[in-house]
Amino acid sequence: MASEPMTKDQIKGAIRVEAITIPTPGEFFSAIDKVSQPNWSQLYQPKPAGPTPSREQMSLRLGVLVAEGFIAVEARDGQGVKNTGKEIINLAKKLGVDQSIIGRGNSINDFAENNDWNTLREELEATQNEVKLAMAEQKDQSQIVLVTVGAWVRGLSVASRYMEANYTPALGALLRQPAIAEYLLAQLEGLPEAMKADPLVKEVRTGLETTLSLVQTPYGVPLSQESVKSLSSTMDSLVSAIAQGKKKP
Amino acid sequence: MKCLAATAFLVLSVSALAAPDKPKPLPSPVPAAQPTPSGQVSVTARSRALELAGAFANDGYKLRDGHWLSSLEPGKPIFLEVNLYAGNEYWFSGAAVPPARKVSVALFDEQGAPVASESYEDGPVAAAGIIAGTSGKYFVRVELTEGEKSDFCLLYSYK
Repeated sequence: MASEPMTKDQIKGAIRVEAITIPTPGEFFSAIDKVSQPNWSQLYQPKPAGPTPSREQMSLRLGVLVAEGFIAVEARDGQGVKNTGKEIINLAKKLGVDQSIIGRGNSINDFAENNDWNTLREELEATQNEVKLAMAEQKDQSQIVLVTVGAWVRGLSVASRYMEANYTPALGALLRQPAIAEYLLAQLEGLPEAMKADPLVKEVRTGLETTLSLVQTPYGVPLSQESVKSLSSTMDSLVSAIAQGKKKP
Repeated sequence: MKCLAATAFLVLSVSALAAPDKPKPLPSPVPAAQPTPSGQVSVTARSRALELAGAFANDGYKLRDGHWLSSLEPGKPIFLEVNLYAGNEYWFSGAAVPPARKVSVALFDEQGAPVASESYEDGPVAAAGIIAGTSGKYFVRVELTEGEKSDFCLLYSYK
């Protein structure tokens, strides 16, 4: 065990890198499974998708789909995983970042066919990372954070909906994620003005500001049942908005 | 913690014997844009970190595809922010390449206090394992304790 506590400068200067700092939906769901027994099959309810008027909205939806994949894995729903994998590839095509992940789509099918759930979690994250890598290579780095935001929003949405109906302080404690909300809001703040002007991105930013106020409890203090209810409502609205898309004015 | 200690001992002892017979996902490629001195060396550091983390997979730990590549210099520890969930078990695995001879990995809570963790150190590879007691922010300290400036890779697994 390390002996000396960190200095204030070390805490302030700690590095935040998305690939390590932001957990996957799978980690979140794994923690939920330790303190409760959700019926993931009932919770796996993808929302019907509408048109996608902009690349920003497609990136947000891609993130949502990745989280859907993790929910389908929790539900042990092989067909659901395959369908989600197919939708991810289709959206990646529209974004022009599909070349590197065609093989991933085949792997997702194979692993789903074999009920290889643990490997599917890794494959889903690897797929997401390859999409992000392709975006970076196309100098489209601003889109990356939107994929991450979409996945986090969908993960929080399904978790808070379950917790609203099955609240315990142990579950409420898992929703205390202020550092993630702060990081994602800071990343959204840093987007180019044209992207920030997208009506859906605007709505997501506002939703995340509300989210931060709800998940920012003192160290070790779980979210109250009331906060979980508000969070569930906020997240459900965001997921619906991402699924339906918003026309640019 | 006893459970984690036993895991570390058993997993690292028998990992060489446990030949995986199921196909595994390919890790995503190393982004060219990551700030590392050289691509090839970075890939080696990642391979070694994956090898170490792979040992924990035999005990049910799921490996994150995400990773962090950088350079470590003697006397200049680096802290990374991570977000963990209460009840989950984590191993943070790091590996450096020559001229690094010894590295360490340690964990701190949201307020910067050291966290009791299991540790594994074997020259240029090291790991720290905890069961998160509280959900929220933690810090991982990585440090080159012997040797010269080297490429380093950190990744983690959970269950």
